[in-house]
Amino acid sequence: MAQTISVAVPGQLLGAASEYLPGPGTHIHDSKLFASILGPIKTTSPPKPAGPQKRLTKITPAAPAVLPTVSIERDISVGSGLDGSGKSKAEILPEVNSTVLCRVTRIQPRQASVAILVVGETVLDGEWQGLIRVQDVRATEKDKVKIFESFRPGDIVRAVVISLGDQSNYYLSTASNNLGVIMATSEAGNSMYPVSWKEYRDPETGASESRKVAKPF
Amino acid sequence: MPLDTSTYSLALLRLDGRRWNELRRLTAQMRTQASADGSAYLEMGNTKVICTVSGPSEGGAVRPGGGEEAVVGVDISIAGFSGVERKRRARNDKRVAEMQNTIATAFEGVIFTKLYPRSLITLSLHVLAQDGSLLAACINACTLALIDAGVPMKDYIAACTAGSTSSYSSNEEAADPLLDLNAAEEQELPFLTVATVGESDFVSVLVLETRVQVGRLEGMLAVGVDGCKQVRAILDGVVRTRGGKILEGSTV
Repeated sequence: MAQTISVAVPGQLLGAASEYLPGPGTHIHDSKLFASILGPIKTTSPPKPAGPQKRLTKITPAAPAVLPTVSIERDISVGSGLDGSGKSKAEILPEVNSTVLCRVTRIQPRQASVAILVVGETVLDGEWQGLIRVQDVRATEKDKVKIFESFRPGDIVRAVVISLGDQSNYYLSTASNNLGVIMATSEAGNSMYPVSWKEYRDPETGASESRKVAKPF
Repeated sequence: MPLDTSTYSLALLRLDGRRWNELRRLTAQMRTQASADGSAYLEMGNTKVICTVSGPSEGGAVRPGGGEEAVVGVDISIAGFSGVERKRRARNDKRVAEMQNTIATAFEGVIFTKLYPRSLITLSLHVLAQDGSLLAACINACTLALIDAGVPMKDYIAACTAGSTSSYSSNEEAADPLLDLNAAEEQELPFLTVATVGESDFVSVLVLETRVQVGRLEGMLAVGVDGCKQVRAILDGVVRTRGGKILEGSTV
């Protein structure tokens, strides 16, 4: 097999089962190895010096280890992240305790929906949906928090991920001094500056609006 | 009955100018909706279908007790504007329900469902335009969307329809099998939908809803299975194009 086929499609013959070991993304049918997902083929030879030199005291069956393993990489979930330097496109996902920047998309009496744009220092390719519940807005006097006095759609919020949440939302919290709204626009459409921990002011009209303000650094 | 009039027997050309063994134009794209786990858009002639896959996800109470294998759920929604005349469809249309069941059973056969116990793979199909071969188009779109989602499968399922000219028995000898019927032909000719697994002759779906002489069935089936192989080759091209893009590093 001198010719290397770089991409495998489901049902594509990869070789005889006696020559290769099946890795992830492959299956064996009629003692032949077939691909079961779409992706680049990766053949991993077993590390040669590993076996017998280190484990002289143990008797291990050596036969299956000499076979190279064929696997199909799934680009998004596992793939490209491994060779870090070459591809910087490895998908970064929000994790618990990571600080994120998000834009408020919708407010409701008990929660604010946000779109997560930045995780840590990394700008994401897409957007992930997040949720700030009313009890997670601030640490004290939680029962007096009103969502519409804390966020407005379009605000940019710094928050921390407290839970991976349900299937569609990350749960976020702004219950800390340095978390909250960092950029806001007024009803007149001007960008505002913070004047206190719960107030933003419009420089042109002078009107103030209430927000859960993040402490500036 | 335009096909039973002399035009077909004279020129051996069908209403849309195809010969008996010609497919309509089949084009498809994968990953059309970035937010879905897998998605595909497929056109077979003027039949247009979008398929999105979500899952494998937590199964819930879909089929309690089973549990050892993933369950494939299919949801077909046919747009009101898809047909020639606007139709308000009942919530539980029996024909749609049968199509859903057919597709689910077919894909449960090729997906490695044992790898995902207690989970649910939902195939959601939206029919944007109908011009015959609806079930076949849905099956082909599902294949592409499942590959895009990275659900491990044994092989492709490729589907197409086959019919037979002249629905009455008198001119038995003149009856020609036809490949890939459009809506006008489906209206008046007997036809079947056939789907095969990969390049093999293994038939995974065979639906025949009209009456047909049993003598013509073999010819129709042979033409249909042959058509499935042509369809498979086209789908394969689409998937390989997508694979090339993956190698270039595009995620969308």
